[in-house]
Amino acid sequence: MTDLGELDRSTPPGAADPVKALLHRHRDLCEQAVDPLEIAAGLEAHGITDRTAARFRHRDVFSLAEELYARVPRDDAPPRPAPATTSPRARGGWTVLTLLPGALCVATVAALRLTHGQTRLYAAAAGVLAVALALRAALRRGPLSARTDIPPRAATASWSCWLLGYALLGDGLLGTAVTGGPDGLPDGTAEGDWPLTVAPVVALALACAPAAWAAHLLAARVGRRLASSRGLEDFSASVRPVLIGVYVLFLGAVAALLTATSALLGEPPALPSTLALGGLLFLARLLTIHGFTHAPRVILAVTAIAQTTALATLFAARLPGCDALATPVQTLTTAWSPAALPTLTCGTAALILLIHASRTLARASAHIRPERPR
Amino acid sequence: MRIGLLTEGGYPYVGGEGGLWCDRLVRGLDRHEFDVYAFSTDEAQEDAGWVPLPPRIGRVRTAPLWAAEDDGVVYGRRARRRFSEHYGELAAVLCAATDPAAPGPQPVPPEADRFATALRGLAELARDEGGLVAALRSETAVRALERACRAPGALRTAREARVPDLLAVAAHLERALRPLSLDWYEEDGLGAVDLCHAAAGGVTALPGLLAHHFFDIPLLVTEYGVRLRTHYLTRPDAPPAVRSLLAAFHGRLAAETYRRAAFITPGNTHARRWQERCGADRAKIRTVYPGMDAAPFAEAGESPERADPYTLVWVGRVEPAKDLVSLLHAFAEIREEEPRARLRIIGGPSGPEGAAYLGHCEALAAHLFPDEAEGPHSAGAGPVSFEEIGGPGPATPADAYASGAVVVLSSVVEGFPAGLVEAMLCGRATVSTDVGAVVEAIGGTGLVVPPRNPRAFAEACVSLLRDPERRVRLGAAARARALELFTVDQNISAFHGIYLEIVAHTPVRRLLLDDTGDPLPFAAPAESHVPGHWTDPASRAAPTWAMDTPVPATETTR
Repeated sequence: MTDLGELDRSTPPGAADPVKALLHRHRDLCEQAVDPLEIAAGLEAHGITDRTAARFRHRDVFSLAEELYARVPRDDAPPRPAPATTSPRARGGWTVLTLLPGALCVATVAALRLTHGQTRLYAAAAGVLAVALALRAALRRGPLSARTDIPPRAATASWSCWLLGYALLGDGLLGTAVTGGPDGLPDGTAEGDWPLTVAPVVALALACAPAAWAAHLLAARVGRRLASSRGLEDFSASVRPVLIGVYVLFLGAVAALLTATSALLGEPPALPSTLALGGLLFLARLLTIHGFTHAPRVILAVTAIAQTTALATLFAARLPGCDALATPVQTLTTAWSPAALPTLTCGTAALILLIHASRTLARASAHIRPERPR
Repeated sequence: MRIGLLTEGGYPYVGGEGGLWCDRLVRGLDRHEFDVYAFSTDEAQEDAGWVPLPPRIGRVRTAPLWAAEDDGVVYGRRARRRFSEHYGELAAVLCAATDPAAPGPQPVPPEADRFATALRGLAELARDEGGLVAALRSETAVRALERACRAPGALRTAREARVPDLLAVAAHLERALRPLSLDWYEEDGLGAVDLCHAAAGGVTALPGLLAHHFFDIPLLVTEYGVRLRTHYLTRPDAPPAVRSLLAAFHGRLAAETYRRAAFITPGNTHARRWQERCGADRAKIRTVYPGMDAAPFAEAGESPERADPYTLVWVGRVEPAKDLVSLLHAFAEIREEEPRARLRIIGGPSGPEGAAYLGHCEALAAHLFPDEAEGPHSAGAGPVSFEEIGGPGPATPADAYASGAVVVLSSVVEGFPAGLVEAMLCGRATVSTDVGAVVEAIGGTGLVVPPRNPRAFAEACVSLLRDPERRVRLGAAARARALELFTVDQNISAFHGIYLEIVAHTPVRRLLLDDTGDPLPFAAPAESHVPGHWTDPASRAAPTWAMDTPVPATETTR
């Protein structure tokens, strides 16, 4: 039902160009459209049909859209400013969650100090469980959470736990194993037969919060660099210093935390080994949350296996005829200290991961956000 | 015959869109065997489970489009070079400054060929090596996109692409090309079907396209809403570079799909025009109207006297596109002419936007039509009522339509007007606005006025309210038309005919091998090419007039 009478009513007398009025009405649509079909889709969404197009002397909406596309001025239009990037704001939820593992760890250590015997065992078990759950919660939300479209790998988590376990028990075991021990299970103190080194673990648990902040900072900075850089090379060159800076910042935070906890707990600060382990775990997590799960898994596994092998050689050397097996580790331990072994292994691993991360995370493709389903 | 049904977010999931249609198709064509290959759109849908499946469904294979399964394959140098070559070609085609859908008959443009080659190259790479998901996200892909955007002769909008735009395009392409990494393209997967029927265009038809490439399986594409158009409407706020590259991708994908398809069946003329515009060959297009179940409306259709002669009925989901405001203003004019007229608006709001709009409409109705009572002692009521199906008012849509003398539709935007067809099935005269496929559905059996024109709308309604005879005549004609065109039976028989035609024109010739792996001569007898099962006499493809009892031709002359 074409209604030419209505056309006459809606256009002012003397207007010889009804398309101009239409162009004016749909100016935004026409200016932003990237091709005529987009204008056609938009016009149809505004209720313009082929019969309406006939009033504008056009065969169908498509040819009307083509005329609009051709007539809209676009060459002299200034390029639209880049949309303001909304950097992810820090949320209360994840800030509290990242503080939780550290708080629980401190509470567990306090409980270990205050209790004795059977109760101490229960307190230790409950503490370990609580810290593990808190850690899991902290890694599920906020900037340390992995991308949802990539399935997590259980192997990475178990190797990380092994490395943390070594930080807690390993130095003591190594120290006593060299001198022929251990003669009993750990009793939860730093003085016993199998001494525990609690300060590094507490420092690392507390370092969850700085790690989350560092990851958040990195994401925000990278987002800004993404918006401001024009080419991929440009972007890579500008992101690498940011990455190194954030890493150094995190290491500084770990060093400060370790100094504080060591002073409070009265333990000698094992700075190099803790820094190496903290740096390694942070880089592994950074790579994992950006979708690179392969390298962290391999590196963590190799590190843990290296530490286990070193310990195993000490005990294997006690077998008759195998004395030579213990020589490398014994030399290392006597030349420096039991902490030299984790420092060396974790430090090497962290260095390798740092080189890897500075190559992979500086690529723009590492920061592709998964598209929301529509 | 074995048919591979490709769906996205619909059948066999509970509550999927288009699920009802697929279910009817599978149940209606129970002589054929169906294999369903379905994409799920999100996790909630996957958790919701499937509808009960009829026994004719041979197998169901599903793949999530919302989660990428990285198979951990890392490309070697040769595979990487192969990927880089094909992806670079794809990116170059997307950035090339030509209209993907130039109208008119023309030879296959070289761009379309390049696009198809690149797509096939990527599919073959995924089939040989795997690991395409990781590769599509890799730096190689982003670099290829950047190179294509900066190349001379690239689109003006593509040249302005910044790094976030490149990343957005890469992410979208990775998601869109996920079907390439599936393990469906095997001899016992999509290679075993006789025909691929894609229930939608775009990404859903991609497996069919690949099955055509790998095994020469003919492809049938059914589109009730054109995917390309949906794509244009869903991302209005993206930067121009992203929009132009993605529009080029979807446009070329649509053109390639239409080019390879044996037949294309749009659901209405509107979809058909878009398909023609995107390069579909007219000779391949068969419009198949969606089928509606006529049974619930039969009783209402047979009893036109049940209608209240002064009641107008509007039925649908309340949302701004339905333009109820215009309807209320039109009704104000109707009331001036016909004071006894009443308007029933039946339907719940769709979404929070719809709820807000419903509130606005109720306020407007209360303002325009204050409650009025018949006498000084009775309670007053407004002439406009807002009701919901299943509430205190009508129990079913059929009751809703049956209660009115005239069914009205005032939308400004409409696809295929299912509600209007239901009204036609009920045998009610209708007044509707000229949007979408309304004119095509109604034909000459109802009144059509321009959208956003309350006065014309009111005049049409008044003319119908004053002429009961015309109402009955139009209603009967509408019911006859709907029963002829929009029933489930016609939909299913149309698809049945198209299936047989495709298989007759492009049969899949499979080479049968004997135990030692040599080709077996005469393994497929000539009878196996006859559509239907040749040993079953009832299912022989014979015209229906030949099966019926013969009518003596001389009877009229007696």
